Amino acid sequence: MDYLYSILILVGIYVVLASSFNLIIGNAGLVSIAHPIFFALGAYTAGLTAIHFGLHAIVATLAGAVVAALFSLMMSLPSLRVSGDYLMITSIGFQLGLLQVIKNVEFTGSQGGLSNIPTPVTGPYRGLVYSVVSLAIAAAVVWMIRWIVRGPYGRAITAMRDDELAFLALGRDAMRIKIVIFAVGCGLAGIAGGLYAFYYQYVSPEQFEILASAAMLTMVVVGGMGSTLGPVVGAVLLIALPQAITFLELPPGIMAPLQGMLFTLLVIVFMFIRPQGLISPEGPTPLPGHRHGNRSGPR
Amino acid sequence: MFMFDAVVLAQILWTGLATSSYMVLFTIAFALVLKVVKLWNFAQAGLMAIAFYAMFAAVNQFQWPTVVAVAFGLLVTLAASLAFEIYGLRTLRARRTSSLMFFIFTLVCSEFAAYALTFIFGTEPAPLFAQIVSPVRILAGIAVSDWDLLAVAVTLVLTIGLALYLRLAREGQFMVAVADNADLAELYGINAKRAFGAAFAIASVFICAGMYLYGARTAVIPTTSLQLMLFAVIATLLGGMGNVFGAAFAAVALSLVQSYSVLVIPSRWQGLIVYAFLFITILFFPRGVNTSGWATRLRVRRAPAS
Amino acid sequence: MNRQRRDVLKAAVATALAAGVPAWAQDRSPLKFGLAMPLTGSQSAFGKDQVTAAQWGVESVNAKGGIQGRKLEMIVLDTQADAQVGINAVNRLISVEKVPVFITAWSAVVKAVAPIANREKVLELSVGANSPDIAKLGDYVFTTFPLADVDVTAVARYANQTLGKKTAAVLYINNDTGVEAAKVYRDAFEKAGGKVVAYEAYDPKATDYSGMLLKVRAANPEMVHIHGLITDLPQVIAQMRQLGLTQRVSSYSAGYNPNIIKQLGPAAEGLIVTSLAPGEKDSPELSAYIERWKKQEGRVPNGLPYTQYLHDGPIMVAHMFDWVLKNNLPINGENMRRAMLTIKRFELPLSGPVEVSETHQVVKPVYLLTVEKGQFVPLATVN
Repeated sequence: MDYLYSILILVGIYVVLASSFNLIIGNAGLVSIAHPIFFALGAYTAGLTAIHFGLHAIVATLAGAVVAALFSLMMSLPSLRVSGDYLMITSIGFQLGLLQVIKNVEFTGSQGGLSNIPTPVTGPYRGLVYSVVSLAIAAAVVWMIRWIVRGPYGRAITAMRDDELAFLALGRDAMRIKIVIFAVGCGLAGIAGGLYAFYYQYVSPEQFEILASAAMLTMVVVGGMGSTLGPVVGAVLLIALPQAITFLELPPGIMAPLQGMLFTLLVIVFMFIRPQGLISPEGPTPLPGHRHGNRSGPR
Repeated sequence: MFMFDAVVLAQILWTGLATSSYMVLFTIAFALVLKVVKLWNFAQAGLMAIAFYAMFAAVNQFQWPTVVAVAFGLLVTLAASLAFEIYGLRTLRARRTSSLMFFIFTLVCSEFAAYALTFIFGTEPAPLFAQIVSPVRILAGIAVSDWDLLAVAVTLVLTIGLALYLRLAREGQFMVAVADNADLAELYGINAKRAFGAAFAIASVFICAGMYLYGARTAVIPTTSLQLMLFAVIATLLGGMGNVFGAAFAAVALSLVQSYSVLVIPSRWQGLIVYAFLFITILFFPRGVNTSGWATRLRVRRAPAS
Repeated sequence: MNRQRRDVLKAAVATALAAGVPAWAQDRSPLKFGLAMPLTGSQSAFGKDQVTAAQWGVESVNAKGGIQGRKLEMIVLDTQADAQVGINAVNRLISVEKVPVFITAWSAVVKAVAPIANREKVLELSVGANSPDIAKLGDYVFTTFPLADVDVTAVARYANQTLGKKTAAVLYINNDTGVEAAKVYRDAFEKAGGKVVAYEAYDPKATDYSGMLLKVRAANPEMVHIHGLITDLPQVIAQMRQLGLTQRVSSYSAGYNPNIIKQLGPAAEGLIVTSLAPGEKDSPELSAYIERWKKQEGRVPNGLPYTQYLHDGPIMVAHMFDWVLKNNLPINGENMRRAMLTIKRFELPLSGPVEVSETHQVVKPVYLLTVEKGQFVPLATVN
């Protein structure tokens, strides 16, 4: 049963991550890959404040969200003046650079990771309580994002994504919207980090490398970028499917790479046969040739 | 306390240059594809892994002589990169896919390659040849190994060769034209698709050479190439997007800075240097280091008023 | 006979059986324990061989009739030597397979799953990981393998006192394994009267150690101790030699691997490594074990001493099961832990006697070996 709970908790965490990521790249069209680092910042902050200051899990998680949002400013302020490829690469640099710092600094536990994070819930019902909390937070986040996107603010975001030039011509402040959305998305990732830290009681830097970015991107892309339920579907699939494969009782030596191969192949095939993802974005879709404000050119 | 003596400084220079060789090769491959195809080719990590393991299989499992093994590796890498371009990129291009999707596609391709190679070869770290130590001689107090000499020679030959090709050969000049403006080049009858193919082909040569040098010196696992690639990406950014030789120069400079940094910081922080440079670049060159502007300004200054 | 009577008869027989037969004879199901090892990933060469050795250990238990007639069953899951994957694997072992004890290795995994073991009261046996803080991970975490302070201290003292080296450089991989062990070496070497003139960490993902090695060259130590994993150790030594550093190198048990000699060739001469398991002259069963490896796999196992401990791991577990059953206690982690601490001293075929205690540490003799003419030969034994 505990095993099932751990899957549910992971699903909740990744729904929050995928949805917040989708807010940034799908709804606002900001090509940042650095989402895992904000997940990390939330987890480490929550863990460290709980260990050293004895903060309660909820407060520590909120602290994690705030720290993640603040760090997002470090990235968004200098680089949001440009978009597209350049932002993409600088976000990778930001993620990996910050990760390098975490790996080499003593107080984060450096390479070995941060362990012995106190857990607020103990006892036989731990798994159940955590799953309920995780899924509830996931539902709240999805609902909150939906509310943002459907409201007038959401229309502004979509307009900015689809044609930034026109948007600016109308006198709207694109920079401010970008910074706010980025901070919100990263803050939500920070909350997922707190959830993670208190369930596993252990955070290690290995989990936040480029492959983590690829995993989150896959969830958003396969699920359907720009839609509300898309990232939810993507997260569930990406967590549940590999676990299901492990029950096929294949020889363990080949199971991990085989799993990986099947998965990436699935994503590639998907990108070709259904590029809009499982769940199409609701609302007006960008006109052909107007992809996220980028110059169209050979790729 | 670390002595700042001349021999040590010279040794760091030599070894730094020699070990920058494979980084330069990977950077050129990446920068060339970016320049011509306008693609941030993260699939290069997959191609690098494929190149290594093809050569590895040829040397260790088929027991072929080195030259044949390298040729085999080159062929396999060529096939993989052309398949990637023809079946993958062309389709996505025709659909006017966004650059984010291209990025995800290239990254997922690299992941697939890494998993497939893990499946076939396992994950035991393996160098290309059984022995990784090459003969060393001490010249004026500096240790110079056979590998160092080979690395520097191969890199110089290939880099100069590419420069000459782009400047003098017709196909090379066509590639530059396509890089500048693909649509305009097509109007003049230049086949853009061929140029893309040629870019990938040349990149394959550089990738193979780089992995040969790297694998002769260190053990490799299927995910090693992704780490190496990141350096190439940052060097490309620093060198100016669209400037292949600027990127190569940046790769050497970055390598040397990293090597010399041990004089002042603990070695475990060396990896951070690259990111520090990236951060500085973002701060001071928010639109990217644009070196083509300088070249134009220089030319304008030199041309007499007519 | 009619249906009703048959049912009554069935019920009567069942009740008689339930009442009259002792508890242990009723249950013939196998006794399960878990093994979480890297089957894939960069450490799999070691991990897979250790699993093979453990399987042979299980076989030897079952060949002797099992534990009071019940078979010993080992459930193997992959950890990739990665904390996250290890956590998933152990969660599965505990909640799906319901094992009362599991064996695992690689410091990162051992530490990551410690909270689970302590929380669920399942016994975690760390076999092979040597980070000294493993002794402080909690009530349910025990190591059967001596921690770094044992063998690293021995090799440090040997360098200073027997080899007469007065200065040393310590190079270590910047992770759990390296950081703690480097401190142990430095403390031991300096306590013995020596001086550590260079103390450098390298990133696990680094491939070029020239800068760090040039720093070492400038410091001019008499001995160099490198604490890394099998993935980087040969590279560091190779680059050392390529830069003209000719000092003798020492490492720990990860260096005791024939692949190192293959990769380094003559550069490996003089390398000192440690082993925490007895060699062939101290353990008669070892020769047969090595012969079996050569016949079955055509080579000696990667990390021979580790496999010796892994082979004996299931045998230890079998003794624990035996104690719990003999004392008519339910099979759970708490009782397995009691069994282990009550039995205290286990006489094991390939790893010698292992004595467990409440300090969570194990002390064993350290066997030092060196590379001579392309082969590992015994150098000294330190108690």
